Amino acid sequence: MSNFIRLVQNEQVKLYVRVATWVMFGILAAIILLGAVIVRFLDDGSLTEYGDNWREEIQEENQKLTQEMEEMSSDSADGGFSVEMINGSTIERNNYYLENDIKPHTYDAWQFVYENAGLASIISLFTIIVAAGIIANEFKWGTIKLLLIRPVSRLKVMAAKYVSVLLFALTMLAFLLVFSWISGAIIFGVDGMNPSIVVDRGGEFIQLNVVKETIMDYSFSMVNLVMMATFAFMISSIFRSSGMAIGLAIFLMFAGNSVVGFVSQYDWAKFILFANTDLKQYTAGREPWIEGMTMGFSISMLLVYYVVFLAASWLAFTKRDVAGH
Amino acid sequence: MSKPAMQLIGLKKTIGKKEIIKGLDFNIHPGEVFGFLGPNGAGKTTTIRMMVGLMKITEGDVIIQGKSIKTEYKEAIKQVGAIVENPEMYPFMSGKKNLQHFARMIPGITNERIEEVIKLVGLEKAINEKAGRYSLGMRQRLGIAQALLHRPSILILDEPTNGLDPSGIREIRHYIRNLAEQENVAVIVSSHLLSEIELMCDRIGIIKNGEIIAINSVHDTTQQTDLKEVHIEVDPVQEAKQHLESILEKEVKVDQSKVIISVLREEIPQVIKSLVGQNYQVYGVQVHRSTLEDKFLELIGENTIE
Ligand SMILES: Nc1ncnc2c1ncn2[C@@H]1O[C@H](COP(=O)(O)OP(=O)(O)OP(=O)(O)O)[C@@H](O)[C@H]1O
Ligand SMILES: [Mg+2]
Repeated sequence: MSNFIRLVQNEQVKLYVRVATWVMFGILAAIILLGAVIVRFLDDGSLTEYGDNWREEIQEENQKLTQEMEEMSSDSADGGFSVEMINGSTIERNNYYLENDIKPHTYDAWQFVYENAGLASIISLFTIIVAAGIIANEFKWGTIKLLLIRPVSRLKVMAAKYVSVLLFALTMLAFLLVFSWISGAIIFGVDGMNPSIVVDRGGEFIQLNVVKETIMDYSFSMVNLVMMATFAFMISSIFRSSGMAIGLAIFLMFAGNSVVGFVSQYDWAKFILFANTDLKQYTAGREPWIEGMTMGFSISMLLVYYVVFLAASWLAFTKRDVAGH
Repeated sequence: MSKPAMQLIGLKKTIGKKEIIKGLDFNIHPGEVFGFLGPNGAGKTTTIRMMVGLMKITEGDVIIQGKSIKTEYKEAIKQVGAIVENPEMYPFMSGKKNLQHFARMIPGITNERIEEVIKLVGLEKAINEKAGRYSLGMRQRLGIAQALLHRPSILILDEPTNGLDPSGIREIRHYIRNLAEQENVAVIVSSHLLSEIELMCDRIGIIKNGEIIAINSVHDTTQQTDLKEVHIEVDPVQEAKQHLESILEKEVKVDQSKVIISVLREEIPQVIKSLVGQNYQVYGVQVHRSTLEDKFLELIGENTIE
């Protein structure tokens, strides 16, 4: 076992000694900061802080919004439409606060972290790049020959590489969470340790715990991340080319959902990987991609794909000759 | 003879429909430096890849210190240090980090051992530089260092003299002889240039088109023909040729102003005396060793890559 840990250590050393890896962290940090600055300075009202007499403040706000809507709809027919939508939903939300006697939560570090869940797709992208290179690069550098003539089975070498990819994804995720929280705390402050928000779920408002929602959102996006990284890892192992693995995995990551959209009228579409990677489709207030699909079905499909990807990687990595270029 | 360190038994490799290695059988003994000589494409690298388990063996087996590389891979490979083809290292890491990386893959390699190996190959000065900036010769040394980390009892070096200058080759020859003589390591060195490995090997196996066509000991020249080829620059050359043919009773070749004869070493003074005695003008005498090189060329004939 200590032997295996040393193999993983080797992979991590090789990863972090390269500038490219640090650039990935740098890019993620820059995006987070940029996001924070944009939210701060393009204040769209969501940053309003409510004081002790928040009930009156909300009522005032509602009056203002109603007035705005009336002015708009008299000015222009189509311009008023979107204003009506936005203001309308804000008013409804405000009414919900009043009816349920919930003091609106101020936008703070927690909410910033929650909203940054979307950045998990950036982590997916970087993890794909790492997974795509981790085997293929050894072939490119020619070092695979030195790696595989040690008293360590090929399976172990491969497993260490795979674990290293997952470790990288986890590290990035931890970085995203911590860095978002800290920059959020600096720029927006922290409003209590048990924040909640009210969101619109299919026309109905519900109050949600932000921390719980954050964990859920990030966990759901990890499903897609792990599947795509494993896919890239497999391509890297089979074709021994990182370019191919990056290209295919990123293409599928972006095109996958549209493909499912195109063929969703067919029954077999539910067997496509991308119809199943978004487990959020089964949460409250959402419809599954294809009628009749269930969480259990998707999880089984994901497991089947996962096992196939790893088995193919294993076959390609352990059973084939390491010959010339 | 001692128990062989490595045995090749009917080793064959077929890729697609092409039989690249056509049945190799030979043993390499502890303390011996074995030269694996053959023209480009003969199958040296392919054989080495099978010896270290990078390629699957189609037929036959490689036995390393009594363990089959096919069925007891870990036990067998523990005994082996190798460079296969080029000494490729992680270009973005220093020489030292590269060595530490490979040291982590084998239990029991101390930092002292890493330092010792660095000293052995003379890389102390450059060891903290990135391997990507190394010259080919420095990479070759780092490659050897990496192969020696775990004190293997068999060292396999694929074209270690490739890219080295003459002093580099001399140094490598020196370590290799040392390892074999002092530490009883069995060393296999491949090359396509006989002159480069002749001086470091005890035995040389010549491979061509996937077959061993001769295995010779380098030092027991007595077994080989003792005839030397002697070039004598002499005037007038045609008469000298006839004279020599009459006294030697064999054919004498002429090359421009030289006669070329093939005689035993002891006969050389007599031949010169006789020429001088007959008033031929002798301008120079060159004795060509009948080297392995000739033999090598003779054996492999034209190198046709199939
Ligand atoms: N992966 C492969 N697929 C098909 N043929 C191959 C493969 N690898 C090697 N060969 C063929 O096997 C033969 C032997 O190649 P090998 O690399 O073992 O030669 P070598 O003796 O090491 O030559 P060199 O002196 O050029 O290094 C060549 O004819 C080569 O074309
Ligand atoms: Mg070769």
